[in-house]
This record gives sequence, C-alpha cells and structure tokens, in this order.
Amino acid sequence: MGRIVGGVGSSHAPSFGPVYDQGRQKDPLWAPLFDGYIPVRAWLEALRPDLFIVVYNDHMNRFFLDAYPTFALGAADIYPQADEGWGKRDLPDMRGDAAFSWHLARSLIEDEFDPTISQEMSVDHGVMSFMPMLMDTAWPVPIVPFAVNVIRHPLPTPRRLFRLGTALRRAVESYPSDIRVVVMGTGGLSHQLQGSRFGFVNPEWDNEFLDRLEAAPEPLVELTHQDYMERGGTEGIEMINWLPMRSALGSAVKRVQRTYHAPMITGYGLLALEPT
Amino acid sequence: MSDEVAGALVFTGERSHAGYRLNRMAMSLTDPVNRARFVADEVGYLRGMGLNDAEIDLVQRRDWKAMVDAGGSIYLLIKIAGALGISLQQVGAHTAGMTLDEFMAKLEGR
Repeated sequence: MGRIVGGVGSSHAPSFGPVYDQGRQKDPLWAPLFDGYIPVRAWLEALRPDLFIVVYNDHMNRFFLDAYPTFALGAADIYPQADEGWGKRDLPDMRGDAAFSWHLARSLIEDEFDPTISQEMSVDHGVMSFMPMLMDTAWPVPIVPFAVNVIRHPLPTPRRLFRLGTALRRAVESYPSDIRVVVMGTGGLSHQLQGSRFGFVNPEWDNEFLDRLEAAPEPLVELTHQDYMERGGTEGIEMINWLPMRSALGSAVKRVQRTYHAPMITGYGLLALEPT
Repeated sequence: MSDEVAGALVFTGERSHAGYRLNRMAMSLTDPVNRARFVADEVGYLRGMGLNDAEIDLVQRRDWKAMVDAGGSIYLLIKIAGALGISLQQVGAHTAGMTLDEFMAKLEGR
C-alpha cells in the first residue's frame, strides 16, 4: 500500500529560473524566500519519497486554447522542459513513473475525476522553477504532473480541487507497492498582471490563506473564484492549486516550514506539512 | 461571476474566442524558429498567422493593454514581449501608464 508522507505548497515564477541559474539565492532581494527551501529540501531527503505528485498549472506552453484541458494527468516516463518563448534553461528532462500514472488514472476515473491523459507532456516553470530548490537537478525523485486550468474561465471550483486531493490520497493508498509519496500544490500567491492593479500583492490575504490552509481549510473551500481574485488578484487565483495538497494529507497536520516573501509583483509562499 | 474584477478583465471563454488569432500567433512564438522569423519580418509574420490589420497595429504599437482588451491572455502576450526582449515589468509599466522607473519605484515604495 502506498502512503502520503508529506505535502508541499510553493509559489512558482519564471523569475526563479535566472535567480537559481545565476546563483543569486543569497541576494538580499531573494534570500528571505530561497532560504526557506533549504530546510524543506533536507526534510524531503530524510523522508525518502519515491514520487512527487505535482498539482500545477501550465501557462499556455504544453497546452493551448485549441484544446485546453480542465485537468491533465501526465502518463510518461520523461517530462521535457517546455520552451515558454524565451528559450530553455540548461536542465535535464524530468523523470516520470508511467506505471503509477496509469494506476492514478484508473483510480481517479473510478472516483469520477476524468482528466485528459497526456503521454507526451512538457512541463513549464509551473513545475521547473521551484523544483531545483527541492531536489538535485539530476531529478532523483520522479514526478507525476497534474495540470489544472486556472487561466481560461470557467475554472474548476475550489471545492472540486479539495475533493481532488482526497481522490489522490485514495489512489496512493490503493497502489499495490509500498510507495512513499509527497503531494505538491503550486501557484500564486497574490499577483495581478493586468488592468489598473497590475503589480498588486496582498500579504495580509496571503498569510490568512496560509494560516487557514494549515489549520482549518474548510472556509477556503467555500470561497468563490471572484473572492480569490478580489483578494489575491486575477492571476492569484492559481493558489487554489494548493487545496488538493492539503486535503491529500488528511485532517491533522504538523508544520515543517512556512515562508512568505513579497519582494516585487508576486507574494511568494512556501509551506511544508506532514500528516499526523 | 462578474467578467471584470478589481479593474482587470477576467479571461472568459468569450474573450478567449475574440482573441483567438492573436493568442494563437503568440503561442507560435514558443518555437525558436518562429521567433526568429517574427523578429526578422514582423508584419509579414503576423499577416502569415492570419492577423487582421487592427491586430497587427496593436502588436506594432506594443499596446499591451489594448491587446488584453482585444482578448489576449497575459500568459500568451508575454511570449510576444519575450520575443521582442521586453520584460513583464515593462508590460506592467505600460499597462499602468508609467515609465519603467516610475513603475519600479511604485513597487519598491510600498
């Protein structure tokens, strides 16, 4: 039987790429965020996970509007990096676990979640921007990417995403081998990239979100998309990707790390939790 | 749900429909070969991608705000900006009607 041994919520951003690649993690602008990843990486190494399930969003790189999936599950052994329009970073392809993906596909569909299943799936900064802070870039831990449409409305509801986490947990626990899984949710936190509030961040709301997500997430599930966008910006709606990470852990959790930093046009968050 | 939240346009299906050609052109710039063709002959490339005169004009004028109004998704528009060597902060400054220095000062001042 598989087991969920941890959960990580993290922001992602194209700007993490050059900061990491140029070794500027200790730059005063970035250190308050990047320092938070150091204990999380050590904790992950000690957990010895066999797999990361990563609930993220594609930013019109693998998928386009001709057929933009509400949910897409990767089912491959290799996940190459997408070119987002400004060239690729010097990083190897990420590794997958197609056998687990197909188990997950069967389990989710029995649970009435019906994702697009993608056997060729490049991943963009939604996965690759924060991953080098969490493991070596030889990618010792394989990933299963799960993309959520948080860009073209109508979007799946916060409640739907919360239920998704429960379905992920059932899938892991019904896997025949004793696999150790960490579930990740990534996006946000507050930011807005258009309109009169371009550059808007809301640290107060971001911290309230982190408080509630850890201790009592139910009120976050009740909020509408409009609530999220008014509080955290139109593009900040990505933070609903963190909800399945939380519900996958069950009701009681222990905090391992929490970091928040809003240096520019995005509120960046990091939260690591263990089930108790 | 309102299709405008806090002064920003929600990227609805209707806007996605209206901006489809512009967004499709932007998506093509994820290919480095297309980026080179775009930079070498902007108007020819845009015409070849089926954009009409009004859409070509928006791109030529680097009018990011008007491109959003025309149904452009910011996630696709930044691929146009990227191909032209324009940063997200420059797009933000333009959207806010400021110079880049003014925009950065506003961010740092809060």
